[in-house]
Amino acid sequence: MSALARLHRPATVEEAVRLLAGGDGERTRLLAGGATLVAMLNAGLVDPAELVSLAAVDELRGIGTLPDGGLRIGAMTRHRETAADVRLAGTLAVLREAAARIANPVVRNMGTIGGSISFADPAADYPPALVAADAAVEIAGPQGRRRVPAREFFVDWYATALGPNEMVTAILLAPRAPGLGSYDKLYRVAGDYAIVSVALSVAWRDGACARAGLAVGGCGPRPLHLDEADELLRAGRLGAQAARRAGELLAAAADPLDDVRASAAYRRRVIPRMVERALAAARDELSRTA
Amino acid sequence: MSGTTRAIGASTPRLDAADKATGRAEYADDVARPGMLYAAIHTSPHAHARIRGYRLEAARAIPGVKAIVTGADLAGPHCGGIIKDESMVARGKVRYVGEPVAAVAATDPETAGRAAAAIEVDYEPLEPVLSIDAALAPGAPLLHEDYPSYVKTVQGGGHGNVVFESTVEEGDVERGFAECDTIVEATWETQAQHHVYLETNGCVADVDASGRITLYATCQSVHHIQQRVAEELGEPMSRIRVRATRVGGGFGGKHASNIHSIAAWLARAARRPVKLVLSRMQDFEIQRSRHPARVWMRTGARRDGTILARDVRVTIDGGAYADESPPVLAFALLMSRGPYRIPNVRARGAAVYTNKLRAGSFRGFGNPQASFAGESQIDELARALGLDPVELRLKNAMRPGDTAFGGQQVPSCVLRECIERVRAAQRAAPPLAPRPGRRRGVGYAALSHISGLMGTAASVQLRTDGSIALATGCVDIGQGSDTVLVQICADALSVPIDRVSYAPQDSDSSPYNWKTAGSRSTYMTGRAVALATHELRAKMLAHAGDMMECAVEDLELRPGGLVGLKGLPKAVSFKEVALRSLFHSGGPIAATHGFVFDGPGFDPKRAAIHQLAFANLGVYTYGAHCVEVDVDEATGAVEVRRAWCAHDPGRAINPAACEGQIQGGFVQGIGYALTEAMHWNAEGWLTTTTLADYKVPGVLDCPVEILPILLEDPDPTHPVGAKGVGEISLVGAAPAIANAVADATGARVRRLPMFPERVLAAIDARA
Ligand SMILES: Cc1cc2nc3c(=O)[nH]c(=O)nc-3n(C[C@H](O)[C@H](O)[C@H](O)COP(=O)(O)OP(=O)(O)OC[C@H]3O[C@@H](n4cnc5c(N)ncnc54)[C@H](O)[C@@H]3O)c2cc1C
Repeated sequence: MSALARLHRPATVEEAVRLLAGGDGERTRLLAGGATLVAMLNAGLVDPAELVSLAAVDELRGIGTLPDGGLRIGAMTRHRETAADVRLAGTLAVLREAAARIANPVVRNMGTIGGSISFADPAADYPPALVAADAAVEIAGPQGRRRVPAREFFVDWYATALGPNEMVTAILLAPRAPGLGSYDKLYRVAGDYAIVSVALSVAWRDGACARAGLAVGGCGPRPLHLDEADELLRAGRLGAQAARRAGELLAAAADPLDDVRASAAYRRRVIPRMVERALAAARDELSRTA
Repeated sequence: MSGTTRAIGASTPRLDAADKATGRAEYADDVARPGMLYAAIHTSPHAHARIRGYRLEAARAIPGVKAIVTGADLAGPHCGGIIKDESMVARGKVRYVGEPVAAVAATDPETAGRAAAAIEVDYEPLEPVLSIDAALAPGAPLLHEDYPSYVKTVQGGGHGNVVFESTVEEGDVERGFAECDTIVEATWETQAQHHVYLETNGCVADVDASGRITLYATCQSVHHIQQRVAEELGEPMSRIRVRATRVGGGFGGKHASNIHSIAAWLARAARRPVKLVLSRMQDFEIQRSRHPARVWMRTGARRDGTILARDVRVTIDGGAYADESPPVLAFALLMSRGPYRIPNVRARGAAVYTNKLRAGSFRGFGNPQASFAGESQIDELARALGLDPVELRLKNAMRPGDTAFGGQQVPSCVLRECIERVRAAQRAAPPLAPRPGRRRGVGYAALSHISGLMGTAASVQLRTDGSIALATGCVDIGQGSDTVLVQICADALSVPIDRVSYAPQDSDSSPYNWKTAGSRSTYMTGRAVALATHELRAKMLAHAGDMMECAVEDLELRPGGLVGLKGLPKAVSFKEVALRSLFHSGGPIAATHGFVFDGPGFDPKRAAIHQLAFANLGVYTYGAHCVEVDVDEATGAVEVRRAWCAHDPGRAINPAACEGQIQGGFVQGIGYALTEAMHWNAEGWLTTTTLADYKVPGVLDCPVEILPILLEDPDPTHPVGAKGVGEISLVGAAPAIANAVADATGARVRRLPMFPERVLAAIDARA
């Protein structure tokens, strides 16, 4: 490990982007909660010369309500805050449940949503939840700001739609709709990354399914999601048959690896089972609250 | 004794607890000496290779490098346990990835690390042998071509890649099976588990002007490490001093390590202190694991459930070096009968070499592997017979006066009570609500273990003010032996425990102790403490008799350090006794008691024993576990909901400490059963070298209710009746959980850990 040349503490996003652009490519890194980055530093996996801390950028902090009633989650919002925010209800509850299932209290106190999705570990909890909720990612770069749907943000193993010298500034969520969100996580021990996770967000109005979002984590380079499966669920009003078919489609589309957590074959097997279970629980909840 | 509580039987808080909780306790990494150097190890990238040569120029040229050692520097004999087959750094060959090949001492850790990386070793890679089958295959590459020439303290008939072979046999197995109505047979496989003590292995070696070495080490025996380092450095033991630091967990993984000799060697070469503390990754790579094992077992019974015969074959994977493989094999065989009356039993076993981390001692010592098979098979036998598995256990359970496998008579045995108590407790507990998508099951395991073996000693001295100075060689590895030994001593003199000091272990002054191992500290060292204290008491009473001019028979101990005249208020204090002895007559009052385990040996008339690595062991303890599990039908994930663990500690010197051992052992057993597994890839690289890969259950993965039940049955051979409870509590978890999974799903999982994937496969494979 070579000595760190500098630690910057910009006060604005624009300044942070300038520091990134003025730095030495890979050797200049953003520092958010540090839960992942500092562990990688300690293990000698990364060797940055300059760190750009986002801790002093006010704009990135906390969860705000947008004029249209939607929510804006700043990139530096800690997992603990997201897990505790009651505005994340109805269709958006999936995000809150996912946040609550990340790691352990120490990591939830440190880790941020921006850091998590930028790192884009395919077994992480936010990516499938954001895809299921059909969130958008706000990005800042030398050319200014842009938005990318979460469904396009995650592109490959640990790779995102972020371009050179770009950073995540916020997650944008459409106003919550009545319905439900759920997040189920299969793990080896509590606090570990998912073997398989299933994120579900359902808008339900007048006994009909207005929108269904279903995504699977831990089973390939990026969150597994099929428009076709969502449409099946919506049209089939989350029924058992639609659930089975959606699970089968996702399992067939999955591209998991054999790794220390489980085999690829096992993951393919449990995807439909966990999907069916998530939908059975959803039907149950809707029938109780309807 | 009115007005005082006895020291024995009190759940006294640990003497070391406050220091540990407040960060004052000194662990190996806290030790610092002026001018201290830091060591780094260059490890093997090959599972199996010949070493053709070393190039050290680049490493030597780095400023700050003070000493380097490679196998080329070692000239003496090989070291090890029963089979002397290894050395602190590899010589001639490397036999596992991560094996120390060279080591460097430098002025700071970064320099040492850079220098270690700059060492170049010329290897000729050889085909690695990575499994039991590969080791035993005809024409398999040999790990130890020199095996025949190694020094062996016990002969085990090794050949090829076989380290050791042993047999224990009672009765006539073939005839026994011929009389059976039902016979079941299966094979079980278990994995390598790591100890994952919170504190990794580490030490600091200091050297004085005469070249005498003092080693500060986190360890399970100062005497054992002293002997090993002396042997390896070619020094008399008088030139090596070992002092134990506080130990952040051992579980069998801190008996021996390459690092002590490496640090001592480098310190001697550099004439400066050297610190060598392993990172978590290195500790995983170079230390030790539990033996992976394959156990084939066949058991037969009459229609009424009387078990008549059992045949067992145990093969353990010892990894690259023999280390504790022979005794682990021996103990697995001795435990393979289970705590049952089975007249005809044959247990045969072998330990093999493979190109992986050496396996060594680990809480349970072969018993977890044997009992996972044995206790699973009891349930399968019950099912085949159409009997209740608990009733089958009760019917065949050992009773007091029965003999253990090997033929020793067992005076104290509360096995049946343990089984009945856990069953009653489970039945009486309010049922947990069923959960959708989960299947509930209940499973049992019956267990035995030992707590007496090898040698130990204790010394006690009376100090000027009447305080007592106690010393033993028993290192407290977190299990609480400091507290328990002090309780035993204080109790024998009717003084509060704060009147007894307990010396940290130092090979210069501590009475000999083999190791903190084998659940033996409370039985073995506790017995030595009690008897030494009794001798001290006798000497004190003789003084008191002289002082009060009366016969010793007329004296009694009174609480708080007084010797009184029976029936009269007259008394002298311990202080007065001490002062008399020190300044007037008799000399300092001290006593020492030492012994080697003296229980009844194996009975050659009962048992035919061939090449067993243990000459004598005993003081059997018994226990039973009952667990409730939920199995997730969708994923196969197993969750332990509640557990009842009944154990016989003989006499519970410190009930809270016993309960802590039971709960801690059971939790480590849950890890063994469900989540913990070391994994090597096809090239022989250990892939689980961090705690992100290797998963130990955390507090959220364990049931809140792990309910210990202490069934005290004082052991007649111990002055205060104590037996050991440190290991047996781990042994029952895996079979009880496997039996509960079978109860829940009808699926039998015969491979550990019971990953969800394997449970789901077993559910699919149901007949
Ligand atoms: C022990 C442990 C267990 C964990 N378990 C889980 C788990 O179960 N589920 C789970 O989902 N996660 C888990 N995590 C990951 C955790 O959620 C991290 O907090 C998260 O991955 C990274 O967030 P951070 O804020 O700490 O980012 P940092 O570590 O600071 O940064 C991570 C990476 O993202 C980059 N980065 C940070 N912020 C931005 C930004 N705004 N724009 C662009 N790039 C940025 C950094 O340069 C760095 O490369 C675990 C982590 C640990 C240490």
